[in-house]
Amino acid sequence: MALAVELHGLTKRFGAFVAVDGISLDVEEGEIFGFLGANGAGKSTTIRMLCGLLRPTAGTGRVLGIDVGREPEEVKRRIGYMSQRFSLYDDLTVRQNLRFYGGVYGLRGALQAEREAWAIETAGLAGKEDVLTRALAGGWKQRLALACAVLHRPRVVFLDEPTSGVDPLSRRRFWRLIDAMSEDGVTVFVTTHYLDEAEHCHRLALIHAGRLTALGTVDELKAVFATQAVLEVTAPRVAEALDLLASEPWVREVSAFGTRLHVVVENAEDGQRRILERLQATGNVPVRIDRIVPSLEDVFIHHVEAAGAEKRTVSA
Amino acid sequence: MKKIRAVAWKEVRQVSRDPLSLLLLIGLPAFMLVLYGFALNFDVRHVPLAVQDRDKTAASRDLVSTFVNSTYFDLAASPAPGDDLERLMETRRARAVLVIPEGYGADLAAGRTVPVQLLLDGADANTATTVLGYAGALVADANADAIRRTVLRASGRDVPAGIEYRPRVWFNPELSSTRFLVPGLMGVLLMLTAVLATALSVVREKERGTMEQLRVAPLRTAELIIGKTLPYLAISLLASVLILVAARVLFGVEVKGPYLALFAATLVYLIGALGLGILISTLADSQAIAFQGGLLVSLLPAVLLSGFIFQIRAMPPALQLVTYLVPARYYLVILRGVILKGSGLGPYWDQMAYLGLFALATLALASLLLVKREA
Amino acid sequence: MYVLWRIIVKELLQLRQDKKMIPIIFVAPIVQLVIFGFAVNTDVTHVPMVLVDQDRTSASRALLDRFVESGYFDLVGSEETPDAVDAWLVGGRAQLGLVIAAGYAEADATGRPARVQLIADGSDAAPATVALGFGSAIVAREAGVRLAEYRRHVDAEGELPAVGLTDLRPRVFYNPDLRSRWFYVPAVLAMILMIMTMLLSAMAVVREKEIGTMEQIIVTPIAAWQLIVGKLFPFAAIGLIQVFLVTGVAVFGFGVPLRGSFLLLLLLTQLFVLNTLGLGLLVSTLVRTQQQAMMVAAFTMMLPMLYLSGLIFPIENMPHAIQTITYAIPLRYYANIIRGIFLRGSGIDVLWPEALTLLVMGLAILTLASLRFRKRLD
Repeated sequence: MALAVELHGLTKRFGAFVAVDGISLDVEEGEIFGFLGANGAGKSTTIRMLCGLLRPTAGTGRVLGIDVGREPEEVKRRIGYMSQRFSLYDDLTVRQNLRFYGGVYGLRGALQAEREAWAIETAGLAGKEDVLTRALAGGWKQRLALACAVLHRPRVVFLDEPTSGVDPLSRRRFWRLIDAMSEDGVTVFVTTHYLDEAEHCHRLALIHAGRLTALGTVDELKAVFATQAVLEVTAPRVAEALDLLASEPWVREVSAFGTRLHVVVENAEDGQRRILERLQATGNVPVRIDRIVPSLEDVFIHHVEAAGAEKRTVSA
Repeated sequence: MKKIRAVAWKEVRQVSRDPLSLLLLIGLPAFMLVLYGFALNFDVRHVPLAVQDRDKTAASRDLVSTFVNSTYFDLAASPAPGDDLERLMETRRARAVLVIPEGYGADLAAGRTVPVQLLLDGADANTATTVLGYAGALVADANADAIRRTVLRASGRDVPAGIEYRPRVWFNPELSSTRFLVPGLMGVLLMLTAVLATALSVVREKERGTMEQLRVAPLRTAELIIGKTLPYLAISLLASVLILVAARVLFGVEVKGPYLALFAATLVYLIGALGLGILISTLADSQAIAFQGGLLVSLLPAVLLSGFIFQIRAMPPALQLVTYLVPARYYLVILRGVILKGSGLGPYWDQMAYLGLFALATLALASLLLVKREA
Repeated sequence: MYVLWRIIVKELLQLRQDKKMIPIIFVAPIVQLVIFGFAVNTDVTHVPMVLVDQDRTSASRALLDRFVESGYFDLVGSEETPDAVDAWLVGGRAQLGLVIAAGYAEADATGRPARVQLIADGSDAAPATVALGFGSAIVAREAGVRLAEYRRHVDAEGELPAVGLTDLRPRVFYNPDLRSRWFYVPAVLAMILMIMTMLLSAMAVVREKEIGTMEQIIVTPIAAWQLIVGKLFPFAAIGLIQVFLVTGVAVFGFGVPLRGSFLLLLLLTQLFVLNTLGLGLLVSTLVRTQQQAMMVAAFTMMLPMLYLSGLIFPIENMPHAIQTITYAIPLRYYANIIRGIFLRGSGIDVLWPEALTLLVMGLAILTLASLRFRKRLD
């Protein structure tokens, strides 16, 4: 399969601050590729470079074979982009926004009418064509913004945090749209910090402090725990239990998930036994200890901590 | 007190993060003074004059040199008879055209009164008016000379010197425009920067949504307003000091009266201006509106209706009434008095009273509206 | 081309939606013109004058009458000594003091000169200059009259030869009554136009940057020139409408004559607007927020242009260094155009240098601004 997006050591510096630090990866056509990371990790900056909005400081990026640093305008012609703030014109109606973006991408006449109709139907905005955009609720605006971004049927679509601030039902509906596009052969490059959505992607890249810390399918990423077990512990005094277990050498990692702890150990039965022992000794008797299937959140935390540890050893 | 300080400090930090605006607020007024001080000049000198001398005798040349040798007129063209004189004015090559008829010298020698035409470009009414005055005086002098010479020659008696006339200008002997400008510009620029800075600052918070955050805090309206305006008060005072320094260093304009009087008047004036700025910001929803509104109520009245450039006397009565509401009008009188005339605040206590009233009124109104709008 | 059309449509739709813009665009200029038009008046009238007549003869009375008759001066008080004039001037109750020294009437007989002093309050330099000018002319004329009388007195037997005198006959073109309003109202028109087009265009571009829609637009294949023209075009149209409105008020409200061709005015105004829009765009490429746009546009461009364009203060009186700078100010050329068309009835045959300059300057500024305008965020 051909490569839709390629990054080779892509770097962006703002003065002394390195926002994106030498990221290399490939995205195949038709993939839903997720870019995962905390706020400020460098996701938006990377996408902006790929869309020709920022010039890379070093390294190269290619979209559909075109160099984003050298020919940004060529890239813009072939892609769709949905920016983080849904950039629709609040003071225009739904139809006026569609008409505008369609026109800007060169659509006109019958084709434009057809795409407009498609957009309205797909976004579920039938009957709302003449409503001012600022009067729309979040979920509708989001779908409208997506529709505007793909009116011209681009082969690659870049979505920057498309579901922030939108209710769960709308988010699910939105992802069904993305699935449909991917089945059509469109490559979707999406950034998000919602880990449950990330499970929706074919492949994921984990970004931390501008660097690529992990890359692969969801299963491949979770395989980091292949030789280990993740136990979920529910104890009356969570903070105390956390501190106690963190100091134990046989505990790989421990983190709090609300009122529960996720403890990573080498061996499930062994681990269960020892946890029970330790906690009972302090009168902090655990209510349950279960082995769970690790979630992406666990994976994410694992990588973040690893990167942090690396940094500590480097600077030490 | 502490809360006021907290608000004020936040404002200071925000302002310092926008160095461009800060630079403009502080340095611009002084820069303007420099620019206009050098550029602006009301003296009408070197008026381009065209002379069509159809006589070309000694007498006509005498008249011509009276005009041209004065500093008022410069010889711009000497059109020949039959040339299109109006064209000269239309293309602005000359502002006035002196037309001396044929036979001027002969008529003069024969003791006849000769009409000499002076064509004036009336489009620039101010210059034309002044030129008319000058020309009138020049010709009157020339006539007086002619009489004197005739009497002297004929009767051997010298003629009395006529009227010994001495014009004197007080407070600004050279009628230097800078001295005139400094008080006016100070009033205008201080009002403008104070109002705009404050108006925009509050509206910006509204636009960003942080205003809501502030209202939720246990902060009294008065504390909020004082805290927000304090930094701008300091900045504006700094700007006014800079203006005075620039005026002194570059144009030799000294403050003849007591500095304390100057400071007191400026302080009250600024407080009123800042209050006005806050008032505007409570009414405006966007920065664009705040800016235009601010310009409208600060710049326009300060320049037009304060008596700075245009005489209040010359305005229609309705408008004259309006000028009573313009604080710059009173500030200008005080400034002119203190800076140029060397007076203390004594003769101007009613002006000061008005400025104080204005400050109180705007601050009170602003507080009221701020509370009402949020409720 | 179609893309350009789309952008223009969008801008117009947005403008229509913005309820607050309508009064700003249509009502504000008229209001401003009315206020300016009435306030702005430098005709010298009713100059308050205080009299110190130490002679108290019919001759000195006659001089006073000349002043009062002229219509320019109002007698507001009289004092005994010249020192007392000080208080009047300091307090602002009088702007001029007329001091006639004792011995004025008998000057010719005694051989001592008649002394007259005019003391002006220079703190308000402009009116002081004009008042002094008039005052001087009045005194000079009176001197002439006294001299003529003296001559007649001496020449009782008619032996003295007649003296040839020059009779200055002024003929004022374009503004016979020398109404300063006719000078200022066209200036105000130019000012309003400049402010509206420059400020609004700068802010319109920056607002998109601030909101974030700019990002969404520059990621499309739209060409920079299409975006620029599309965004600026509505303001050119608005400027045109405003010229209509404001000219109407000037002509029908203030009686300022429009002697030249209105069509030519519209055409040349567009050339001027080319410049102001270019400057507005330039400003928008330099700043990040609307507030900065306003301040930079207002203070570094509009205010200096206002003062240095010859619109209010004559350029001839400025130092040469500054006069050179004024050649770079578009408003300078438009000031000439506007006065030319309104008051002098000038046609393109006279105004072509200004028109050409505005065209060249406008294109240069727009090109410069466009080059700075990148389809990138950094």
